[in-house]
Order: sequence, then structure tokens, then C-alpha cells
Amino acid sequence: MTSGYAVVAVMVVVLGTILVGAYGLRVSRTTSDFYVASRTVSPWWNASAIGGEYLSAASFVGIAGLIFAYGPDMLWFPVGYTAGYLVLLTMVAAPLRRSGAYTLPDFAEARFRSRVVRGVASSLALAIGWLYLLPQLEGAGLTLNTVTGAPDWAGALVVTVVVTVNVMSGGMRSITFVQAFQYWLKLTAITVPIIFLVAVWQVRGADSLTEPEFPSFRQDTEVSFQRQATIHAEQEIVIRGTGVVDGERLEDRELLLTSGYHRIDGGSKFTFPKDAPVPHLSTMAHNTNESWSLPASSGADFPLYGAYSLIIATFLGTMGLPHVIVRFYTNPNGTAARRTTLIVLGLLSVFYLMPPIYGALGRVYTPELLMTGQTDAVVLVLPTRMIDGIGGQLLGALVAGGAFAAFLSTSSGLVVSLAGVLSQDVLRLGGVRGFRISAVLACLVPLAMTFVSTTMPVADMVGLAFAVAASSLCPLLLLGIWSPKTTTIGAVAGMLAGGVPALTAGLVTMFTDTGDSWYEILLSRPAAWTVPLGFTVMYVVSLATQKHVPAGVQRTMVKLHAPENLGLDGSGSSSSGQERS
Amino acid sequence: MVVTSPRTRAPRARRPYSGTREINEQSELGAVYMRTLIGAQRRLGLSVCLVTCGALALLPLLFTIEPELGKFRVFGLGLPWFLLCLATFPMLVLAGWFYVRQAERSEREFAELVERP
Amino acid sequence: MHDFLTAAAILVVGGVAVLVLWRGTRTKHALSTEAQRVTYETLHTAWSAAPPLRAGLVPDAAKKSARHLRTLLDTPALALTDETEVVAWEGVSEHHAAEAMTQAEDVFLTGRTQAFDIGCTEPNCPINCAVVAPLTVEGRVVGTLAAYSREASAGLVRATNQVARWAAGQLELAELDRSRTRLVEAEVRALRAQISPHFIYNSLSAIASYVRTNPERARTLLLDFADFTRYSFRRHGDFTTLAEELRSIDQYLALERARFGERLTVTLQVAPEVLPVTVPFLCLQPLVENAVRHGMEGKVEPGHIQIYANDGGAEAHITIEDDGIGMDPDKLRRTLAGQVDESAGIGLGNIDERLRRVYGDEYGLVVETALGLGTKITVRVPKYQAGINGM
Repeated sequence: MTSGYAVVAVMVVVLGTILVGAYGLRVSRTTSDFYVASRTVSPWWNASAIGGEYLSAASFVGIAGLIFAYGPDMLWFPVGYTAGYLVLLTMVAAPLRRSGAYTLPDFAEARFRSRVVRGVASSLALAIGWLYLLPQLEGAGLTLNTVTGAPDWAGALVVTVVVTVNVMSGGMRSITFVQAFQYWLKLTAITVPIIFLVAVWQVRGADSLTEPEFPSFRQDTEVSFQRQATIHAEQEIVIRGTGVVDGERLEDRELLLTSGYHRIDGGSKFTFPKDAPVPHLSTMAHNTNESWSLPASSGADFPLYGAYSLIIATFLGTMGLPHVIVRFYTNPNGTAARRTTLIVLGLLSVFYLMPPIYGALGRVYTPELLMTGQTDAVVLVLPTRMIDGIGGQLLGALVAGGAFAAFLSTSSGLVVSLAGVLSQDVLRLGGVRGFRISAVLACLVPLAMTFVSTTMPVADMVGLAFAVAASSLCPLLLLGIWSPKTTTIGAVAGMLAGGVPALTAGLVTMFTDTGDSWYEILLSRPAAWTVPLGFTVMYVVSLATQKHVPAGVQRTMVKLHAPENLGLDGSGSSSSGQERS
Repeated sequence: MVVTSPRTRAPRARRPYSGTREINEQSELGAVYMRTLIGAQRRLGLSVCLVTCGALALLPLLFTIEPELGKFRVFGLGLPWFLLCLATFPMLVLAGWFYVRQAERSEREFAELVERP
Repeated sequence: MHDFLTAAAILVVGGVAVLVLWRGTRTKHALSTEAQRVTYETLHTAWSAAPPLRAGLVPDAAKKSARHLRTLLDTPALALTDETEVVAWEGVSEHHAAEAMTQAEDVFLTGRTQAFDIGCTEPNCPINCAVVAPLTVEGRVVGTLAAYSREASAGLVRATNQVARWAAGQLELAELDRSRTRLVEAEVRALRAQISPHFIYNSLSAIASYVRTNPERARTLLLDFADFTRYSFRRHGDFTTLAEELRSIDQYLALERARFGERLTVTLQVAPEVLPVTVPFLCLQPLVENAVRHGMEGKVEPGHIQIYANDGGAEAHITIEDDGIGMDPDKLRRTLAGQVDESAGIGLGNIDERLRRVYGDEYGLVVETALGLGTKITVRVPKYQAGINGM
């Protein structure tokens, strides 16, 4: 898997990011032509930038990995990540822009005129941002591990350092054009290889991807186990190599792996024979390629609950992501905000056509990942596995570069928006210095968390961040925008009632081993119960506290919903305004 | 005894206030204007959202009730794959496009409503 | 005998317990004396009542302050009126609010504190009498403060008088606040009207010189001139977007370039992300005018002006730099401190004052300059500010 070209690609992306960060401002418009300089960002550029920042590790490597391992149930991830923008478009985009808010806490303050609501929204935005940064770092670790064999923490460290240096040096702040470029880079990096891979697959006779057989090794394959794994073999296999199986030490000799469960210790290295069915991790279901391709094949308990929880979290969580929201400020007005969101919807739709193909091809060409558990690596490994020689190496390098670009751009966006919240609401340090200190802090917390979290698929972790956003900030936005009855107390109660349980559930699944307990699914997919809880509490408490409707709510509603060009602000006509003051 | 035409004391017909002014002065009438706009946009947003997302959300239930549906094949793809990988995305974009068009239309209508009383 | 001993033991233990508790509660108060606590309680309540009073006698704010004022007087009910109506009734028996104005009338006429007997027929009403004191601001009675109680006492009258005097003081401060705001507004208006006659004369003669040689240029310049003056004289709103302010600067510079020709060069670098930022009206254009004046005055070689608007996360950073004669730092410091000395820069003090008022003291102008070394002015503006964006 280790490939010189891929290392070069990753380094090019890292260096490119640093250089663009350092010199980026000079590339931005320097001119004496005011007409050029004061042109606002067009919806196309802005939408590309949102896409570039949004398509994270979860999208680039995680989705393909989950589909590869668990089948079509996981298709709800890409669908949900996209449909989230439809909800954002129809319910939030224009009013949010019109509120004049730059961050979500700003919106909370603008709508409720309360520092308390602002404070709660800030803390939740911070928590969501950190939950979302964590999988980016883990994904970076995985990528670097796959292409260079470096330890897992190295990638996380590289991303942290690059992003911190970059944000601190003032570069990559939130330069729209750089992030817009990132979208097209990622789209290229995921699309070009897949065209070749599908072509190769067709040329080689287009093996069916859904045979009623277990995935099998296409050639004698040497597999190294990074960490301990409990695997399930469907049939007896003769393996050869060095390592520890079920507590028995083997030194370069053969072993008959009986069908059933076996524990293989980390550091083991075995060669599996051609055509043998691939054993899989004990946490996955016993699927043939055919049964894998059917719904509810993931083998999870309560698959229907899981699916709906995922749907709710992703559909409603997008609007609560701190780095997505700040981009809307760049739109000149509410109408442009809507058009931007529509374009984002299109851009994401194109991108998300690709990951499922990687996942499906992986069943045939890289089945051993089912056994090592590094399912997220399927996108990275597939090109070199399917295409021999330099061609495969170059495509692999392209994918690795794209993946790294994904971690860097999403992390930068997150760190910038988190640093904003930290400097404004927590540290209360203004200016450049405050921003820098906050940026360092924003990076360090998730880096520390990577060392203590349990291994968990990248996309699943992102799903938890979405669940917290959907249960706390989504009710705040939706009810705040559309119901003038929402009160300050209701807003705070609702955000806490939805956000705290979701956050707790997320942290428990990430940092402890809940194993097979019946409530495991309630914790790892909390949205289905925390989202209704958040909405209900916010609405009911608001109705019960109608005396505390924030002052001037009528004016706020005018501001949120009236088109800008009418000059409406509900602040009294110009003449009477002057008389009063 | 002072006598004038009764018209002297009749209330003078005034030019009607524009909606813009009513809204800016936060009169009851202005509130009615705003309620109408917000109500229309909320209805539009919710219906686009609920129809699209609701249709999507029915799928897991369908596949659970009738597992045979999962084996059905369209263009060589399993039905769930076809629906979730291919069919959904154009549908989402289409729904979004429809919403943007309608929302902008109702804003134009509103602008006409308040600027020309 | 046993019973007696037990009883004695209980008594002793109980007595010790009471003694310890008593000592305990006393030691708690060792931290402050009675006088200190009373002072604290009173002043704290008064301090809480002050901010809403500063808004003047308007219903919402008056209601808030009345709550604290009633605590100060410890009466069942309290009312505040302005010249025409009851603006706040705090406490029980709101049915008496209707009569409050008739009592206030008397106080308005005499300007003196008066007590009224109001026999109430309702059985549970704790109100029998009212003490009404005038709120006098700058020698004029602007409202009254009425304290309602079961019986009027000398103590109540004295306390009501004192509270009314204090409240009047706060209202006086409110008046001061308002006049200060009016002053700044007047200055903005003056600033708008301050398009200097020189500028108009120079612009028009530059345009005139092009009429024959380059009529097309003359026409665009004339349009620029019209747009620029229209923007500067705009009546509505104290805020605008950075994009609009930059457009006006562009028109201004086009006119100046017509006058200075190749001698004036401008570099502009704008991060498009900050264009939608809301900024106070005319907070940049005078700075550019200042830069042109300082950059071109008293020298023959070309002058260069650089304008940067950068994205700084939650803030926009705008710098305006010239390579001209610079300013005298001491003079400048006096201008920024509020002493009027227009020679140090056009409206610098006014812009600084307005930025601080809107965004807080940390957002004032930062000027780097020395005589002969050019000037660099930095303006920081938060992208979002409660009360400006979030109406």
C-alpha cells in the first residue's frame, strides 16, 4: 500500500495549503479598479466554497468505507448530507442571512436579544465543532497510515500543525476562492480514479458485484493486522505467516483457521490463499455479496430505528454546523443565499455519486479490509489494487492528495469558526492576538481527544456531531425563525433538553465501550429521541412562558423575512425616527 | 353667526399609507402584511421540505415491510441502490429549484403589495 | 431523680446548641456592619433602578425601574407618571391607577410634594393614602412619583421625596445622554455637508477641462460627482455596507484623479467576504479624503494611497495608508481625545468617537504616523454587532 507517489501527493497538498495560506492574500484581488474589487462573491463561487469546506473526511473516505462494510443502509449518509441542504434552503438560508448574523451565537443573540441564549448556543457550537474535528483528525491519521505506514497519530498531528500554523499566519482564514478551489480538487480526486476503475472493471469482464458468495481473495494476499481483531471465518482456511492467533504464537508457519471466531493480535502478518472466502470482523454481519446488497444487511440491532435516527440527524443537523453557517454571511442578500444553497445542493449531488461505487468495487477487489477493520481505507487502496504499475500508483496518489485536502479544508473552516466563537464568547479576547490564541486552543482540544477515543468509523463520528446539531441548534433556528412565540426561556430549555442528552450519548459511545447492550443503538444514534425532545421542550416551554417573549420580536421578524430591497426594518419611518431620538 | 360650507369640517381624504410605511411603523396593519408573507413562505418551505424528505423517509419503512422490494432491479441495479444513489439527487435539486423559484416569486408579489397600496 | 438529670442534660445541651448557633449567626455578620449592609442594600437597589431610568419616562423601562423603586420605599404600590399618563404601576390595587393622574395634576401645578387621602371601598385593598412627589429636571416638572400606602407617615413622605429627587437626577442624566447623541448626529450631518468648497471647485474645474478634450470622460466624471454628492447627502439611516462605502470612495477618488492625474495612484485590495459588513455611514470616505490631502499636499512627486479591507474571522480589518507628510502625533492625540482641532485631520475625531460609541472602546481608530513618514489608519469592524445587524 505504501507508495512514493502518494507520499509526494500528500506533501504537495500540505505544502500547497501552507503556501496558499501565506501568499493567498496577495493572490486575492489587488487592483486599482474599484469596480472589480467591490464585486461581491457570486453564488457559484460561494457555493463551491461551501462544498469545499463541507466535503470532509467522512464524505471522502468514510462513506465508501461504511457502504463497503455494511451495505445499502449506509447510503443514507450521502443522501442525508445532501438533503440537509434542502432543509437548510427551504427553512433557514434566506432568513439567516437577513438576520445579519455571522455565527450561530450571533443569530441567537439577534433573535432573542439575550446573552444567556447566546452563551448556550456558543457552548453547543463549540461542542459540535470539536466533535466534528475529531473524525477529521482520525481520518488524516488513517490516510497517512495507509500511504506511508506512519503511526495513526502522525496524520492527526500533521493536520493540526498545518491548520494551526495556517490560521495563525492569517492565511486561509476563510478565503472563498481557496475553499472553492478545494471543492473542484476533491471532485477531480474522487472522479478521475473512479472512471479508470470502472473502465478496468468492465474490461476485465465486469464481475458481478452481487454474487451469492462470500467475498474472496483474488490472489494470495498478505494481510498485516495493525491492532487486535476478532474475526469470523466462514470456512476453513489455511493461512501462513507470523503472529498470534487465539493466544497461540506462530513463527512463519501454516495454520488451519477453522470456521468460526478467532482472535488475532495486533502486529500479526498472515498470507491468505487465493479464492479463500475472506473472514470478516466480528462486528459485521455474515453477508455474501448478494445479501450485503440488500437493505437491512448491516446486521445492526433495530435497523429501522437506526435508519430513521440517521435520517433525522443528517437532514436536520447540517444547518447547525458552525463552519457552514459563517459562509452565508458572504452572500450579499437573502436571495443570493438561497441561490447559493441550491447550487450547493447540485454540487454535492454530483460528488456523492462516487463514494458508493468505491464501496461496491471494494467488495470484489479489496475484501481483506473487512478483516482488518480498516474499511475507511477502501477509497485509498482500491486504485493501486485494481490497476498495476505506475498508472495505479498515480491514481492512488491523486486520491490520497484529495483525501488530505478534504481534512485540511474542513479542519481549517472548523478551526476558524471555532476560534471565532472562542475568542468572542469564551476568552473574550478581541483582535488578532485573541484570534490566534483561540485558534491554538480550538486545535488542541480535539487533538487531545484523538488519543483517548475508541476506534469508530469516521462517518459514524460525524453522524454524532450531526445528531447534537440537529437536537439543539436546529430547533433554535427553525422555531426562532418561524415562530414569533418562541421565548428566551423556551429557547434555552429546548437547546439544553435536546443538546445535552445527544452530547452525552455521543461522548459515551466515543470514549467508552458500550458493547452489545440493548441501549447501545440509543446512544450511538441518539437523534431519533433527542431531536423530538429538543423541539417539544422548546415549543412547550415557550407556550408556558409567553410573558417572556423577547422585546421587539415583531421587528426581528420583519428583519428576518422582508426582502432587503424594500428598505424595511420595522424601525419606524425615517422622519418619526428622528423625532423620537 | 359664522356659516361655512359643511365640507369645511369634513375629514379630508388622505393618500393611503404604503405597506412599507405601515410595516416600518409597526402598526397592526403592518403586522398583517408581515404575517401574510411569513405564513406564505412557511407554508411553501414546509411543504417542499415535507413532501421531499417525507417521500425519502418512507423508503426504510417500505423496505422493512416488503423485503422483496429490495431484490427488484432497475437498470441492473438493486432498487435501493438505484433510488438512493441515482434517483434521489436529481429529485432533491429539482425540489430546491422549485422552492427557490416560488420563494422569489412570492417575494416579488409581496414587494408589489407593500409598495403600491 | 433520673428524669431530673435527663431534663437537665437536655437543657444544657440545648442551651449550648443555641449559644453556638447564636454565636455562629453573629460571626457571619462579622464581615460587615449593619450600616454597611443597609448602605449596600439601598445602593444596590438604586443601582438596579438606574439603567432603565436612563431611558427616560417610557412605559417598558419605567416599569422595570418602578419595581426597584418600590423596594426602596417598601410600599404596597408605586406609580410613575409623565406629564400626560401613568407610565408604570408597580404593586397591588391597580384599580387606583386611574386616579393617579388627577393627583399628579396638583403636583404639576404646585411643583411640591403632596399627600392625598384616598379612601378605598374594596375590603382587601391595602391602600388608603398616596404621597406624590414631583420629578424635576432642569427646573421643570416632567413627571411624578407616587407612593401608595395604608397610612401616610412623615417617614414615608421624607423617603418618597428623597427617592423622587434621586430619580430626577437619573432622568437628568438621561437627558444628557440624549443631547450627547443629538450632538454626534448633528456632527454626522455636518460631516455630510462638509464636502469642502475646495473639493467642489477643484472637481468641477477638472471636469470642465475635459469637456472639450475628452467629453466622454467629462460625462462619466460628472456622473461620479452626482453619485458622490447624492450618497454624502443621503438622509436615511446611520449605517451602510462596506460595498456601498467603497463605491462612494471610488467616485471620490475618480474625481481626485481627474485633478491630480498620474500623480495620484491607488492600490486597492478587498477580500470579497467583508463586502456585506455593516459599517457606520461615512466612516471611511473622510479617512480617504484625509489620506489624499496628506498624501498630495506640499510635494511634487507622486503620492500613493493603499486601501486594504481584509477578512479577520469575526471582524473586518480596513487600513488606509498614504506616503505623504504624516501628522503630528501630539496634535493627533488631542484630536482623538475630543479636542477640536480640525487641522489634524478631517473628522478623524468624529469617526473615532462614532466607532467607539457603536462598537465599544476597543474599536477606536488606530493611527500610525509621524511627521514626514506617511499615515496608516486602521479600522476594525465586527461582522456582527447586536443592535445594529440584529434589529
